[in-house]
Amino acid sequence: MTLSRTLTHKLLDAAATGETVAGSAWREIHPDLVLGHDATIALIVDRIARAGGRIAEPERLFLVADHFAPPSTVDRANILRRFLDFVEQSGIVEAGGRLEMMQGICHQVLVESPRCRPGSVIVGADSHTTMAGAVGAFATGMGSTDILAVLRTGRTWLSVPDSIRVDIAGDMPAWLRGKDVALHLLGRMGEAGARGAALELSGAGVPMDGRLTLCNMAVELGAKNGVWVSDAVTRDWCRARGEGGWPDDVALEDLQPDAGAAYVATERVDLSTLAPQVAAPWSPANVHDITAVAGERVHQVFIGSCAGGRLEELGDAAGLLRGRRIPPLMKLVVTPSSTAVYKEALRRGWIEDLIDAGAVVTNASCGACGGIDKGLVAAGEVCLSTSNRNFRGRMGDPDARVFLGSGLVAAATALTGRLTDPREVL
Amino acid sequence: MSRLLPGPRTEPLAAVDGAAMVFGDDVNTDLLHPSYFFSLDADTVRQGFLGQVAGKATDGTRSRVLLAGDNFGCGSSRETTMQSLRLAGVQALVATSFGRIFFRNALCLGLPAFSCPDAATLAEEGQPVRVDPLAGTATNLATGRTVALTPLDPFWRQVLEAGGMMPWLEQRGSLT
Repeated sequence: MTLSRTLTHKLLDAAATGETVAGSAWREIHPDLVLGHDATIALIVDRIARAGGRIAEPERLFLVADHFAPPSTVDRANILRRFLDFVEQSGIVEAGGRLEMMQGICHQVLVESPRCRPGSVIVGADSHTTMAGAVGAFATGMGSTDILAVLRTGRTWLSVPDSIRVDIAGDMPAWLRGKDVALHLLGRMGEAGARGAALELSGAGVPMDGRLTLCNMAVELGAKNGVWVSDAVTRDWCRARGEGGWPDDVALEDLQPDAGAAYVATERVDLSTLAPQVAAPWSPANVHDITAVAGERVHQVFIGSCAGGRLEELGDAAGLLRGRRIPPLMKLVVTPSSTAVYKEALRRGWIEDLIDAGAVVTNASCGACGGIDKGLVAAGEVCLSTSNRNFRGRMGDPDARVFLGSGLVAAATALTGRLTDPREVL
Repeated sequence: MSRLLPGPRTEPLAAVDGAAMVFGDDVNTDLLHPSYFFSLDADTVRQGFLGQVAGKATDGTRSRVLLAGDNFGCGSSRETTMQSLRLAGVQALVATSFGRIFFRNALCLGLPAFSCPDAATLAEEGQPVRVDPLAGTATNLATGRTVALTPLDPFWRQVLEAGGMMPWLEQRGSLT
């Protein structure tokens, strides 16, 4: 009898070396790609040297300066320098690895690259590494010591998680986005709703940018990974990345779960029944229909982060704000997820639309999301953010209150200065 | 130059005692250690521990055991959070369940982390608690109550006994 496997199980099997520990569910895995950024790699630079210094497979590294990019304090300048010195001295770029210098957030820059390969296994030194699952990869986040082990040995240890199916039915209404689906699932399942499990998502009605957001926020449900079950949308989007964007030796049929694979749960979402969703302070799982919280005064709107600064959000905001002005006391901060996104938005005239409406547009980086750079919020302020986490104090003062929502909710809210249902202004 | 962050545990695995610090469910890493305190300097990292949890500040001079509810340490992968715990004198973590990256971060640095259904009710804030990773028990030394820790998977057990992920790889001869 052949075992029916989930998609996650198949992806991990393909990267397993066969090494095990007696009685353990954990297996040695040979990842295809290792993602790192300035902050979490800088943490282990000293320990790499102390552990002998050798990098096992530099050609598999994808390193991005995105957190302190460019740095805004002396301490952060020194952290970035530590990271860049490591990259230079270890010869990673010469050996075929990648360094992306301040071209956007590592998760976005990664998925824009053909190196982010459908069917591959990706580990990264950042929790939102799960986002790369949108191209049909297994992708999971780890801490710095785990990544140190991968850098030195080229291997990691993982178990095959239980899988939860997420079936998304219907077409996306004009006022709804992937972000609303992610928040809805968080409201339904809670912050531990998929703890340690895989999410295997499908639904032809969700465009690629929304899929990226859903896989990104799988970790907000506690998931180990979120993988989109590939379809023609995945393949066409990957192909548009250029040469090798969809590898010749990968077939869509290879990236499906087996018929009869066992799932511990199935979540069904009908797009036609959802209202725009908002997560209230201080949890991404404190989710409400926008109608329940509409009207609250908002001082700042942040459009950015790996969860919400793509062309979808920039286009939604530009479309809604074009030819209009935000209120004089509203701070609208726009931080594109990557320079590629930024350039395309410029080409389409959206950046000018946003600036004319009263927005400030920063360079592509993590920005205000992790409380890192321009756009932090003050005590007593209320912010509507398209990012993935509204934990207390994450984006600034612990007495600021942050709501999460889609780019449409963000734009509608920026326009009125109050939490606003986009259906009222579309 | 600033003080380096600590490496993996170097002492042999043994029972540890500490004053209980008790947490609820879904306590995330941004609460445990705000990203504002992300640094390569051990003193800065230590100062960020529990930066926003009122009444739980610690100067790192007293041994601690953290007891928590469900999904402890959910959120970011930043290892500075785990380093801040160690710099604050935390000897062991016992929770109903952990965020998965946080759990790995603890064991990768050789810090005992165990799930236990009774974690959140074992002790009041400040009561002395003993965690014995070898016996698989946690005891409230004030009340005498002892509860069983959920055994680690054999792989993680080996990592913990070795003192963390890098010592374990060293023992296996994987660090060539």
